[in-house]
Amino acid sequence: MKRYFRELSVLGALLAVLLGLALLAPAFFSPQPLLTLITREAPTLVVACGMACVIITRQIDISVGSIFSVCSVCAGLLAARGWPLALVLPASVGLGALFGAFNGFLVAVLRLPSIVVTLATMVTLRQGLNLVRQGEFVNLPDHVQWFGLSQTAGQLVLVSTALGLLVAQALAMRHIAAGRYIYAVGTDAETARLAGIRPQLVTLLVFVFIGALTGLGAMMNLAQSPQVQPLTGNGLELKVIAAVVVGGVAISGGRGNLWGAFAGLLLLACVSPALTHLHVEAYWEKAVHGAIILLAVIADGLRSRQSNR
Amino acid sequence: MSTTSQAPAISEAARGDWRALLTRHEMLLLYVLIAEWVFFYIAGTSTNRRGVVVGFGTWDRQFDILRHSCEIGLLALALTPVIITAGIDLSVGSLLGLCAILFGKLWHDGGLPIPVAMGLTLGIGALAGALNAILITALRLPPLIVTLGTYSLFRGLAEAITRGSITYTDFPENFLFIGQERWLGLPTQAWIFISVALAVGILLHRTTFGRAFRTIGLAPEGARYAGLPVERRLALVYVLAGLIAAIAAIIYTARLGQAKADAGTGYELFAITAVVLGGTSIFGGTGTIAGTLLGVAAIAVLKNGLACLPVVMRLNAAEEMSGLLTGALLLVALTASVLPKILSKLRPRRHTTIRTIPPLSP
Amino acid sequence: MSSPLLALRQVVKNYGGVRALRGVDFDLRAGEVHALLGENGAGKSTLIKIVTGAHAPDGGTITIEGQLIAELTPAVARTLGIACIYQQPALFPDLTVAENLALRLDATTAHARVDWTARRTYATALLARIGADISPDAEVRYLSMPEQQLVEIACVLGSGARIVIMDEPTASLTQKEQHLLYAVVHDLRKNGVGVIYISHRLEEIFALADRVTVLRDGQSVGTQELRDINETGLIRLMVGREVAQVFPAAESAPGAPVLSLLGVGCNASGVHDVSFEVRAGEIFGLGGLVGAGRTELARILFGLTPADYGQIKLAGETLQLSSPQQAVSHGIAYVPEDRRRHGVVLELALEQNITMAIHRRLFPTTWLRFGAERALALDYIRALAIKCAGPDAPGGSLSGGNQQKVALARWLATRPKLLILDEPTQGVDVGAKTEIHKIIRRLADEGLAVILISSDLPEVIGMSDRIGVMAHGTLRAILPGGSDPRTVMAAALGTAA
Repeated sequence: MKRYFRELSVLGALLAVLLGLALLAPAFFSPQPLLTLITREAPTLVVACGMACVIITRQIDISVGSIFSVCSVCAGLLAARGWPLALVLPASVGLGALFGAFNGFLVAVLRLPSIVVTLATMVTLRQGLNLVRQGEFVNLPDHVQWFGLSQTAGQLVLVSTALGLLVAQALAMRHIAAGRYIYAVGTDAETARLAGIRPQLVTLLVFVFIGALTGLGAMMNLAQSPQVQPLTGNGLELKVIAAVVVGGVAISGGRGNLWGAFAGLLLLACVSPALTHLHVEAYWEKAVHGAIILLAVIADGLRSRQSNR
Repeated sequence: MSTTSQAPAISEAARGDWRALLTRHEMLLLYVLIAEWVFFYIAGTSTNRRGVVVGFGTWDRQFDILRHSCEIGLLALALTPVIITAGIDLSVGSLLGLCAILFGKLWHDGGLPIPVAMGLTLGIGALAGALNAILITALRLPPLIVTLGTYSLFRGLAEAITRGSITYTDFPENFLFIGQERWLGLPTQAWIFISVALAVGILLHRTTFGRAFRTIGLAPEGARYAGLPVERRLALVYVLAGLIAAIAAIIYTARLGQAKADAGTGYELFAITAVVLGGTSIFGGTGTIAGTLLGVAAIAVLKNGLACLPVVMRLNAAEEMSGLLTGALLLVALTASVLPKILSKLRPRRHTTIRTIPPLSP
Repeated sequence: MSSPLLALRQVVKNYGGVRALRGVDFDLRAGEVHALLGENGAGKSTLIKIVTGAHAPDGGTITIEGQLIAELTPAVARTLGIACIYQQPALFPDLTVAENLALRLDATTAHARVDWTARRTYATALLARIGADISPDAEVRYLSMPEQQLVEIACVLGSGARIVIMDEPTASLTQKEQHLLYAVVHDLRKNGVGVIYISHRLEEIFALADRVTVLRDGQSVGTQELRDINETGLIRLMVGREVAQVFPAAESAPGAPVLSLLGVGCNASGVHDVSFEVRAGEIFGLGGLVGAGRTELARILFGLTPADYGQIKLAGETLQLSSPQQAVSHGIAYVPEDRRRHGVVLELALEQNITMAIHRRLFPTTWLRFGAERALALDYIRALAIKCAGPDAPGGSLSGGNQQKVALARWLATRPKLLILDEPTQGVDVGAKTEIHKIIRRLADEGLAVILISSDLPEVIGMSDRIGVMAHGTLRAILPGGSDPRTVMAAALGTAA
């Protein structure tokens, strides 16, 4: 109980928001808009799962937004050329993993700080994409949207994929030795080394992992609209990091889990519809996000101060 | 005073053997800058049909480069001390936006005279910096995540205040003078930029504050053991960053003649790039204002120079291409900075022999 | 005779220029408890790091059950069945007890499934076996130090290791837990496990160990069956050489009291009820073993960890010290033990290191005066004979002894009333050591009150006018300078008094 206090408090906040909405704006809970809301967040959730791993190993990746955009556009172009989705999907995932491997190599092998490395890849990829595409949209063939299914069916597929991944990864992080390595490296790389773990390899693989998940997230995004716009991933990195941090994953590594990140993501995702339903102008969304992030880190700071005494 | 005090501002960092490397970094950057400039001068200058020289090699273009690099340059100046203390401030770009619209609001809606509005804006910038400072020093929170939060908060407040749509315009001529005219031969804002650069340079290289920043960046515990007021110095760095972001906001408003909530979006990334490119170590402790200025110049010349190349003009892709090259340049600079360390590690160790691991006996 | 479980031959290890081990031989048999003894800095920790694979030796061979091991990494050491209980538990604080156990025991294959039910049951069983009352679901960060130590012991027990190293395992244990540990050690021995046992508590060694090896100055000075030796004999082996070094003599008699402590204590750092006085011109030695609370006391006096109770008086004035800035402004100077992390900033130039604590006085307007700074630095470089390429050479380019002089210079520049030196000659070569001794004595003769914390027995005895011996966070005895080393060691070990 005490151990999961942080996650439970985010869950509490989320439930409080939902309860408030239920009382003040019951319309929020009509199934179709709700499903649409969750579907829109599904790609973000997939990337957030990867980000949780990265932050737990005491690294950060701010290039996910750019990787997301590049993968989206590339996948879109392949699909437009008539590639079957069964090939586009692995291509997108593989491309993401490749970018992740590049980041991972610089961070784990050359031991460069992840924040600057991923900043550089972020700028390079984003501007490279702009240069090549000049802001042009990719029009997708019809069978791509909702994978050729009906909208509801497609939405259900996407949401269940994201949730399935979340559950699988959360279980793996707890029940597979490799998952525990991630925590061990983030807690103390040297102690991990003494316990026979290879911290550099773990770091490298974690970056490959988030890259692959970003590629997958891009595919899930692709399926939601008839076009791909090249700016689709802009700002994704901050959204994802915010969700993970609000969900109780410590930026100093080693602490937190996916359930918390999930709750954090939902909490942040609820802000916009909550504002709308409560007749507050939507322009407050970003400010409320910032305030939630700050509150979360302040709470963490106060707590670690207490436990240090 | 003795001759030592007349040494250039870099001298503080230019001493000692390992510092020669740093100086080399700045020299290297200078060569890159000169090469860039010469290249664009040759490839980007042409004569139009009326026989007038156009493109990169004109004074107008050079002044334009200066004019356009002031805001990002100021943010880079703000970030240099922050990064030297091994910190980071992601919120400066957002703060620029917030200060810009607050300045507009104070003048337009509040009816305050421009100088008063300016003064208040500077105060707001410092206050916002103080928010970062308190969270980072008093609560000992990691700067990365604190400023990520305020990044969102400041931009969000700016959007909320303007409801995402209000743009403040119609500023008086004498205010626009700051951003659009020339004074004593240079774009007016360049004088402000130069003054801030001098001030930060002096703070960093000629006063005990700069010493403390460096020491904190190199060895925070060591600084505490030496009796340095670590928290107060760190707080100063973030307040200063807020203040300079506010100055950048005023200049931005004066240059464009309008204040919008999206002012300065993404500027923090370019500023950090300029600082790191300028040789400031992201791990803290080393870095110079001269390096930062060179980094800013390298990025600005690249961007404006590309815009003058016929090829790029036809593609209309100067922005993207310069961004791409800047990112690539940063990656190369980063890799180059660790290469000597990596190479020395690769040298064969004395005691590596064949691995023979005996099986575990039952 | 069958080959020993573990055999080290002529193992050498250098750290930078310091020779930590200069050719050590060591044998461990199956089913024996082999005690490793030695003063601080004798090379015990280094030896352990080599056996666990944490550090690679610079020379010599490691043989395990007759097999020559070419490259011993932590992973290889694990597969060979080597386990270690460190002084500071090497656990993952964010993980639970069961998780820690799982990581330490199952980490061999990455894809392996961690069976939490089984693991928790196993953890419970292990903890029960050593008699510890700890929940397997408790997060390690919330456990007390002794509890963490018990978890470590459980880890080692569960790993089925054949070679178990215990580095001062009882340092943080209470009486009850100590007995649990002893039972574990007996259990291991009965099962044919070789135990390397490091402790400063002689009674413990006599109670537990079969053989003892004494290390001194990175060399083994002998291995003995414990039944063939008594306490005095062991102490003599540890102290070894008679005090052959010559220490500079005092030229002036101590003057008025500068510092007086009355019942000072701090619960957070484990210092209790310390009272003593230091007079002007006096060198007050603080002897004792690592962890006795000497550095913690110094940190209290320097305002780094404020005292909870007691009275600190400096030159008659009662002080409330809550920050280093205050301590410095009152004329207290502290040359810390960890030179590389706290003492000298390796990347900064010498002159900047020297003037670091006197910014306010040297640069009253905050404007850096490079000329004045260099002149002052040169003065100290000459006065302390600091060997360097120049005042602009970075701190890291100097040898250990000269770095120490730079740290000393920084604090002398503050013109302190009280100078606290924490292990000033650790990792310093012999020549520089003598020089530093002379400097310290000269400072005292000039009227400075000096507290000298040193684990080097001859040094603390030879240099000090009086010696306070600390153990377990309190002051155990105050002995006159030049006392018999055996008396000091006995007080530090807590066997006398």
